[in-house]
Amino acid sequence: MKKLIATVLMAAMLLTGLVSCSNSNDNQDGSISGEITVISREEGSGTRDAFVELFEIEEIYEVAEITEKTSVMLTSVAGNKRAIGYVSLGSISDEVKVLAVDGVNATAENVKNGTYKVSRNFNLAYKENGLSEVAKDFLKFVLSEEGQKIVEEEGYISVDTNEKYKASGLSGKISLAGSTSVGPVAEVLLEAYCELNPGVEFDVQQTGSSAGMTSTIEGACDIGMASRNLKDSEKETLTSATIAVDGIAVVVNVENTVEALTSEQIKNIFTGEITDWSEIVE
Amino acid sequence: MKVVFLLCALCSVAAVAAICIFLFARGVPAIAEIGPLKFIFGTKWKPTQQLFGILPMIVGSIYVTAGAMVIGAPIGILTAVFLYKYCPVKVYRFVKPAVNLLAGIPSIVYGFFALVVIVPIMQILSDTSGKGMLTASIVLGLMILPTIISTTESALKSADISYFEGSLALGATKERSIFASVFPAARSGILSGIILGVGRAIGETMAVVMIIGNQTVFPKTIFSGIRTMTANIVLEMAYAEGLHLDALIATAVVLFVFIMIINLSFSCIKGNEMKQGVKNK
Repeated sequence: MKKLIATVLMAAMLLTGLVSCSNSNDNQDGSISGEITVISREEGSGTRDAFVELFEIEEIYEVAEITEKTSVMLTSVAGNKRAIGYVSLGSISDEVKVLAVDGVNATAENVKNGTYKVSRNFNLAYKENGLSEVAKDFLKFVLSEEGQKIVEEEGYISVDTNEKYKASGLSGKISLAGSTSVGPVAEVLLEAYCELNPGVEFDVQQTGSSAGMTSTIEGACDIGMASRNLKDSEKETLTSATIAVDGIAVVVNVENTVEALTSEQIKNIFTGEITDWSEIVE
Repeated sequence: MKVVFLLCALCSVAAVAAICIFLFARGVPAIAEIGPLKFIFGTKWKPTQQLFGILPMIVGSIYVTAGAMVIGAPIGILTAVFLYKYCPVKVYRFVKPAVNLLAGIPSIVYGFFALVVIVPIMQILSDTSGKGMLTASIVLGLMILPTIISTTESALKSADISYFEGSLALGATKERSIFASVFPAARSGILSGIILGVGRAIGETMAVVMIIGNQTVFPKTIFSGIRTMTANIVLEMAYAEGLHLDALIATAVVLFVFIMIINLSFSCIKGNEMKQGVKNK
């Protein structure tokens, strides 16, 4: 019995030793090589829809890892030298490196002046008739200079406006539902709005863009949030307003030697035509 | 007072019935619309192109669960043997609560632990991204340990001690006495522990979804990423609409059928014991 256990343990140690010896295949000049780990968001996510549309990707590489959370995406990229992924520009952290696309750095400024092309609109959608006074007033606040200042403070890109907002003193309840990307900034906007109009209560449900549009159409909430443009079927009943612009950042591990990619390269990585970092470094 | 007890008993029955009705009422029409064969044996899952084949996920669930059993069952059963006859009382006071604590840790914590600890280790060992079947199997193997350990231990304890003592008296070693005479007596208890473990592993979601990669392709190696049925539901539920949403509920129906099969086999094993139990009453 003891002999058997000892043999098994020895074999296991030997195997681990062999595996760890055989796996140092980085290039000698220190630049990155090896199979690319492609990480994507799940089917139906607003970020993925926008990413796929902007890079004209027909079908994401089927071996790509899929995650439904921005935090898991960031942790995975931070922990894997060969990973590449994409997240909202507002949620990037120091753990990962943001790549320049077509020679343009991914910054809020470049999104605003139109040089960084990988961006999408954050929309609020509502029914034109039947929207309560207080909800209309909230929309006015969001699209005013005061509201757009908050959008910028949250790391997103504001839309042009020169309206000033004056507190209306209305009271009532506003309910929002929809995108998990728009939700956090909408909450901050609502808090600021409630400070100006203390009689207002609010309720935000982060259910995803499509679910938010559906519940707005059904009347379950006043305003729906979408991190993508409205589909034609949704436009039949809903009116939308763009409240902010968000860049999508392509991120890699901090140890990755690649600093920039062209949109062609990104497209080829995410469709599986480029599968090894050495194809890019050369 | 009897009525109160009856009502409480009905609560759980009503809950199961309500879940069944909801699942089948929405899931079955969706399966019919997609086509039962296309749905269960389809190999492509591409909701945007209206392709709903869940075979890769069925395979994924089975592989990962099997992997978890290969890792968890031996460790669990041998731990139970240790706790049964080898463990000094002082150590028992420490090990037993530790095992129970393992059962109480939320699955999202397991997932995050695996993402920051096990995934990097697997990266070095396998030279892949570190997310995949083996990683998920290891974590699930850990998660089912408490179930297997406590069920096996109580099964061993409830076996008649005279088997063990008789075997020792005949000159068998301690190991041999346990494996050759106590184990057969406790067989159904041990088996039901394993089946409960399978049930837990196949239904586990939050930990798995973080560390398995979630690709909808058939795996090539044990390090390949794959998607389980539970992961499929939680990944896409938030954004799904229309037939896509119904297809996810239909995935839940298939999962539900799997769980029913597992529970039925559990009842079959327990069946004989229960009959005896009723007689003894």
